[in-house]
Parts: sequence; structure tokens; C-alpha cells
Amino acid sequence: MKRLVTALSILMAISMLFAACAAPVAAPAAVPAGEQAAAAPAGEQKTICFAYQDLETEFWVAGHKAIVETLGELGVTVIERNANEDANKQLEQVKDCIAQGVDGIIIIPQDGESAVTIVGEANKAGIPIGVFNRPPANDSNPTLVIVANNEVITQQATDYMAEEAKKLGRKVTPLIMVGDLGDPNAVGRRQGFYNTIEANPDLFNEVIEVPTKWDGATALANLEAAMQANPDVDLLFTSSDFMYPQIRSVLEPLGKWKKIGEEGHVILGGLDGDSRACQLMRDGFVDATGVQDLFYEADTIMQAMLDAIAAGETTPENWMDDPGFALTQGNWEEKANDMWGCKLFAEGGESLDRTFEMP
Amino acid sequence: MKNSSNHRLAQLALQNTPVILFVVVFVVFGLLSPRFFALQTFETILKQASYIGIVAIGMTFVILTAGIDLSVGSNMYVSATVAGLVMQDFNAPVWLGLLVCLAVGVIFGGVNAFLITKVKIIPFIATLGTMVAGKGVGLLFSRSIQIPFPDSVLELGSSRLFGLVPLPIVIFVGVAIIAHLVLTMTPIGRQIYAVGNDAEAAKKAGLNVGRVLATVYIVSGLMAALGGFVSVAQQGVVHPGFGEGYEFSAIAATVLGGTSLFGGVGSVLPGTLLGAVLIQMIQTGLIFTKVDIYIQPLITAAIIFAAVLLDAFRNIQLQKLRRRNIRVEKGAPAAANAGD
Repeated sequence: MKRLVTALSILMAISMLFAACAAPVAAPAAVPAGEQAAAAPAGEQKTICFAYQDLETEFWVAGHKAIVETLGELGVTVIERNANEDANKQLEQVKDCIAQGVDGIIIIPQDGESAVTIVGEANKAGIPIGVFNRPPANDSNPTLVIVANNEVITQQATDYMAEEAKKLGRKVTPLIMVGDLGDPNAVGRRQGFYNTIEANPDLFNEVIEVPTKWDGATALANLEAAMQANPDVDLLFTSSDFMYPQIRSVLEPLGKWKKIGEEGHVILGGLDGDSRACQLMRDGFVDATGVQDLFYEADTIMQAMLDAIAAGETTPENWMDDPGFALTQGNWEEKANDMWGCKLFAEGGESLDRTFEMP
Repeated sequence: MKNSSNHRLAQLALQNTPVILFVVVFVVFGLLSPRFFALQTFETILKQASYIGIVAIGMTFVILTAGIDLSVGSNMYVSATVAGLVMQDFNAPVWLGLLVCLAVGVIFGGVNAFLITKVKIIPFIATLGTMVAGKGVGLLFSRSIQIPFPDSVLELGSSRLFGLVPLPIVIFVGVAIIAHLVLTMTPIGRQIYAVGNDAEAAKKAGLNVGRVLATVYIVSGLMAALGGFVSVAQQGVVHPGFGEGYEFSAIAATVLGGTSLFGGVGSVLPGTLLGAVLIQMIQTGLIFTKVDIYIQPLITAAIIFAAVLLDAFRNIQLQKLRRRNIRVEKGAPAAANAGD
């Protein structure tokens, strides 16, 4: 027993050492959010509860930083709660915030259904609540919502990809990597992709759909199988930029991980607008990416929340749209600096000048 | 005479239900999509089944003792994350990254073993706790950021032994053979089955049950870490969602392979190996046959459910057939039947 406890103590010490070596948090996003946000309501110090489902992608991490830092700069006290992807836990956390008498609540919910319940709790307590990026399943309970129009943003990106496909002068085989079908964002992106397909019936062969469940390993396995079953795929859309490493792992051995203009290039596009997508566009591997305007979304929800608190509104209601945009190789020079991922990429000391020759 | 050979045939078929099911699924998907029969496809299935298969082998050790390890997914994430950080921040070579990964997996398994054998928490609750805590520790290390592995790891993941067999398959099959030998030819293997059959009886027989249980949870931790490394070596990056839900895939592969959740019955070869490959084969087959993505989970669940149902039916039928084969010799005492 003694030996076991000693051994475990040593192992614990080693893990603490690893913790100390852990990578630092990503550099904070440039503070465009703070520059535009309204000042906090005058008077006594305000407290906002920020409850998020998790911080599992660069998008959520950057959104979290933008909100927390900007509110902090405005003199607002922020109570943070991480639900670790547990909707019930998030509900309890919000109830706890309500019990503490916060002035407002901003949530990133686990899913649309749980958002409805959480908003209802805040409504009952008479505390204004805002939902960031992932909308409630219905509008039965009044709330502030900011959400990207996934369908339209996707279609903007895939329309550009279709134009590129037309230059091939033949029918092309399209493939879409679909996200979790329980996530309204994934469903919206799929619909946007199909809007483009249906608008060009003479351009596309049958669509190959690859389910990913937002999981890298599943995406890799299913994409590899799909490429084996359909080796002639020449247009690929990923519902999230985080899956580019898996796409590269599959395409590279097949000789299809090629830059624009090179023989065998697969027309590639995605959605999110993260720093990896920015790098891959700069280097000529990706043709287009749909961009959720992260900083606009953070600004908008904070502005609306602070306004509601200042006006004494307890159940404000406003569904706000992030129109987003598509960054393409066609508008790279004008739009690259507007993409949040490119801002993070440039902050890391990287240049946004193309590293390849556009044909 | 004819009756006897029919019995033998039925018994043989029932004893090999997992293999027959495997062949049936393979043939059906092949008929629906001829490309499915290509050697390349089978290689892909094996390669993609490798990481869950390795985790499932560790899970088999645990389930054979009538236990459960819900923390393998979190273990995969935290061990791969730490290995990635060590390689990224200290430019550590791949072999060191792998060693660190395995060491973290063993530590993780050791914590489970400690909670189960010393603190006496039941495995379900203990590993549920470490599943949540492990994920938290992993996110603390990574700060929710993707951890890229060096290109050399990706090259390793896509390399082939003698230019023929992909390395993930070699590791998977190698681990399965070693695990099979350990379970069938070593004292600890026999002790695992004994503890799973009846822990109390095993204790009375003089076995150190605590040590056996600690061993299986440490083995499970080690296998989870290795499985995680094999998976990341194919993807090149550790995503913060990595490992989530993999515990259920590992349990499904183990049970599909014929291991009883009540302990004491099961095997790695061919059992768990076939189970892991079958699950991946179904998924790949659905992609090949372009089944609607909303229908795919239903078909996967239906096949797994049917397989488990068949397995239960097989066990009942086998017991019946064995009973029929027992003959009481003329003149033998009635007591000869006692205990049948």
C-alpha cells in the first residue's frame, strides 16, 4: 500500500509538471470587439454571467476571449461558467448565476432545446439573457440572439466553388463533409451547399455525403472510405474548417492535395474562417471559406445586453443576424483582413501575402 | 448418424456466429457496391478500426473481470495532448512522445486502479469520475486549442511495414496477438477469467483479486493511450473533442466480439478483433452504398443489435446442444448426471 501511494504521488507530481509545461492560451484576439462596444451602463458596477458549453474549437475560444476581455475593459464583472458539454449542468450553472443576482446572462448553449429551457429560467427571474451563435430551437421564450446565417454564408462560398468548377468544362463530383445532424448550424450549412448544387443541375454529378459527427477520427475514416468508393471526387466542402488536417491526410496519399492551378487540385471550401483556413487559402490549397463574423457577433450581443440592462428591460427580445461573408481567392486582397482567423494568423507574425501564383 | 452430423454442423455454425456475421455483412455490402470487395477497401477498414480495436482490447481485459472503464476516451485525449505538447514545446523525438503518451495512459489507468481496488469505488462510478476529470485535465493542458503533431508522426501513421502493410494494422494485430497470448497462456490471464467468473471464489482460492483488478485497469489505460496515439498519427492533430464517445465504440466492439458484460467469458482473438473490424466495416459499407446519412445510424444500431441478439441466441442453443450430447451409459449410476 505504502509503495503504491508513493508511486502515485510521484506520478501526480509528474502530471503537475506536464501541466506547467502546457501551451499558453492563444494570443488574444485583436480587440475590435472592444473598440466598437458601447460603454457599460453608468451607475453601480454591473455583473454579467457568461455560461458557455465548452471551448472546443478556435472559434469558441476566440469568441470567449472577445466577450470576456471587452466586458472586463468596460468595467463589467464577468462570472464565467463552463458546462463541459453538459446541458443539465449548464442549466444549474445559470440558476446559480440567477441566485447570485447578476444583471444579465450570456450563454453559448449546448443545443437549441436546452437553450429554450435556460432562457425560460432567466425570463422567470426577470434577468435579461442573450444567446451567442447557437440559437434556441424556438422563440417561445423572449431572448436576445445573435446567430450566423449558415445557409447563406455556405452558399456564398459554394457558389464561388461552382464557378471554379465550371472552368473545368465538364461535370464534377461534389462531396460534402456533414457535421452533427443535431446541430442547427450543421443542418444550415448542408442546406446552403445543396442550394448551390440544385442551382447547377448540369454541372454536378450525384453528391457524396460524408457524416462526421463533428469528430476528427470519424471524419478521417468516412472520408477515406468515400474517396475509395468515389475516386473521381473533384470538389469538396467541409462543414467546419477544423477538419482540414483530416482532409489533407486522405487527399495527400491519393495525390490530390494540390495547390490551385496544379494538376489534380480538388476544389476545396469550408466554413468558420479560422486561422488554419486562412493559412491554407494563402498557400493556395483552399478556394473559398464561409466566414462567421465572430467579432461582429460578440460586439452585437454585448451591445444589446448592455443596452437592455441600461433600459431596465427584463425580457428583451431581438433575433439578430450575422450576415457573414465568403472569403474567396477572388476577393482575397480586399477581404482577408476581415476574417477573424486571418487576424489571429497575422497576430502570430504571419504574412497574408499569397505564397503561390494564381493561375 | 445423420442427426449427429447435423448437430455437429449446427454447433460449429453457432460457435462461429461472429465470423459468419462478419462474412455476411462483407458479402452483402460487396454485392451492393462491387468496389467494396477491393483489397484496398479491406485494408482501409482494418486501418480505421485499428485505434478503436486497440482500445477495445484493453476494454476486453476489464470486462472479463465484470468491470467497465468509461474513462478510455478521456484517457486518449489527455495522453495524446501531453505527448503532443512535449513534442511541440521541447522538440522531443517521436519515440519520446510515444513513451510519454503511454506513461500518461498508465498513470491514468493507475488512478482508476487505485480508486477501484483501494478506495473501493465501483468501476462504473470511479471511471465515470475519471472520465470527467480526465477531460478537464486535458483541456487544462491544451487550453482548448488543437495540438498539431509533427509531420514525422503523420508519416509514421501512413507508413507501411516492408512497404506492404500499414503500420496501424501491424500494431493492432500485434497487440491483439500479445493480448491473446497473455489471456490464454499466462497465470495472470487465467486469474482474469477466474476473477470474472466469481471474484469471491477466486479470493477464497488464494488469488490476489485486488492485484488482478489493478492490472486490468492499468492495461486498459495503456491500450487507450496507444490507441489514441495510433489515431492521432493518422490525423496529425489532437482536437479538443478527441476521444469523446469512444468508450462506447470500444465497449460495443468488445461485446460484439462475444465478451460477456458479466465477466469470465470472451476473447481477444478472434472476438474483440472481429467486433472492432465489424463496426468499422458497417460504417464503411454504408458510405460505399451511399445510404442516406439520416438512416445510417439506424442501420448501424440495427446490425449491432441483431449481432448481440444472435450472440445471446447462440449461447442458449449451444447450451441445449451440449446437453443433448451428454449420454448416460447403460448401467452407469444416476449420479453421473449430477451437476449437468
